[in-house]
Amino acid sequence: MKKNSAFVIITILLILCIIFALTTGQYHIRLDTLWKVVSLKFSGKTPTDNLATPSMVLWSVRMPRVLMAVLAGAALSVGGVVFQGIMRNPLVSPSFLGVNHGAIFGASLSIIFFSKSAFSIESFAFFWAVAAVALVYLIGNRGVNTITTLVIAGVIVSTFFMAAGSFLKYIADPYEELPAIVYWTMGGLNNILWANVRRAFVIIGIGITVIYIFRWRLNLMAIGDEEAMSMGVNVNRSRIIYMLFATLIVAAGSSSCGIIMWVDLIVAHISRMVVGSDHDVLIPFAAILGAVFLLFTDTIVRSLPGGEIPISIITSFMGAPLLGYLLIKQNNEWKG
Amino acid sequence: MTTQNADILAVEHIDFRYREKKILKDVSFSVTPGDICGLLGPNGSGKTTLLKCINRILSNENGMIRIKGHDLSKLSRKEIAGLIAVVPQELNIMFPFTVLQMVLMGGNGRFGFSGIPGRNDISDAMEVLVELNMGHFAKRRYNQLSSGEKQMALIARALFQRAEIMLLDEPISHLDFKRQYTIMELIKRISADKNLTTVITLHDPNIAGRYCNRLIMLNEGRIVHQGLRDNVFHAESLEAIYDMRIKIEYTDTGTEYVLPHHIQ
Repeated sequence: MKKNSAFVIITILLILCIIFALTTGQYHIRLDTLWKVVSLKFSGKTPTDNLATPSMVLWSVRMPRVLMAVLAGAALSVGGVVFQGIMRNPLVSPSFLGVNHGAIFGASLSIIFFSKSAFSIESFAFFWAVAAVALVYLIGNRGVNTITTLVIAGVIVSTFFMAAGSFLKYIADPYEELPAIVYWTMGGLNNILWANVRRAFVIIGIGITVIYIFRWRLNLMAIGDEEAMSMGVNVNRSRIIYMLFATLIVAAGSSSCGIIMWVDLIVAHISRMVVGSDHDVLIPFAAILGAVFLLFTDTIVRSLPGGEIPISIITSFMGAPLLGYLLIKQNNEWKG
Repeated sequence: MTTQNADILAVEHIDFRYREKKILKDVSFSVTPGDICGLLGPNGSGKTTLLKCINRILSNENGMIRIKGHDLSKLSRKEIAGLIAVVPQELNIMFPFTVLQMVLMGGNGRFGFSGIPGRNDISDAMEVLVELNMGHFAKRRYNQLSSGEKQMALIARALFQRAEIMLLDEPISHLDFKRQYTIMELIKRISADKNLTTVITLHDPNIAGRYCNRLIMLNEGRIVHQGLRDNVFHAESLEAIYDMRIKIEYTDTGTEYVLPHHIQ
């Protein structure tokens, strides 16, 4: 597929998905009603009585949720592509470096010892996710050819935070705190407010912008450390920049939405299949595809007749077989 | 050893140690512009380590390396990339980049702050490929090329880097007989055309004797013999590095060829 047409198609898909997500749900909003409510908002008028309910649903509940899904989907996917690039492994995801277990530990800490407020949980999850990756970097960064040591450090730090998280679950109050931890861990966008969107927008916006600016140099990092150095890249500094901003955006997504599994791996893989390995086009494509994927999945999840279920259950059900299929299909090609 | 201004590369009394083991011991030599300088020596003699020190992938312990008179240790990675291009032994990559994308990477040092190539860079990279008769490979995936084609693509990348010195680490050791000569002829041609200075590690003394005008012979991290090819390319010096009896015979046309002594 030509790269330009791939971008046109994915952008149209994103627009359609946003319209679908804004109109669909337990409270259905018709397309013409959506148009009227949006027009009223932008013209600054107060909605009439018959538009009051759809307006309230749209602006208080659905719009922030849709925007958060777009932001988090883009963040997780771009984070996945960046980590796969610098680790030179298409099967790596940010969770390999302790982002998820750090976030779960932070969220549990907040729920048990500090506050169950969304802001507190989000802040703790964000801080500990970033701290976990920083720890991985401190332990694993050993100059040239450091990828293996970083992955091993990721396993060590993940295991440590998993154990610490399990301990917190063990001592948590089984009636209130434990269900809150488990529910947060399964991920979901059901409690998203405008404040979450604003915070995520700032962090994810800055992170993706920096990664986008330096997207081409990721190609060199993906070839090898010595290779990149020979071609003039300050490998250590570049790795810190990519890891820092990729971690920030993934942590911002995870801390607002809980742990949403598989999005990074699936989107990165499909993106590579469609537009190739050049990060020049891969980064923006993965960002849009990630937004489409998470938004679509979230809309399905909240529209199920039996009520909403945690989103990770669906992304895992979709992701695991899809990735298996992709691996079998691509195996021969990569061997070549 | 004094550095002459004419030297483009001067290595002065460098050592390199990996943990307790000394890999390079008091290595000194210099290379003048346009040289094709062959590094000969058995496995483990320190050839690749020496190349990595010259490219500052590894940092030497003592002594100094000068490139065009500049102290290498004071140069940034970008500055080094502007002076030295590297062709690795065999490069296998995880992601299926195209040949054109691979060649473009060589220009990274010139691409400015964000490091993104412009339209002109893409057409320049294409020109390099066409020059090496590889234009039709531009859109092919690097992973799907044969070993010889990969090596040509890496040489194209080094040329696109526009450095004055090209370091090649055993570029032909995994190639078949014909392609060994194809690649060496190519290296000889581009070195002359672009006035490149080439430092190349080789296993086959016959190839080294045929294509290099300067030879450095290493054994156990120490330079045993060095100098212009005609001064050092003889059986005794080769015997000293390979630790075996060697004889040099001549074809009817006077071409030398190196053989183990026991082979008739």
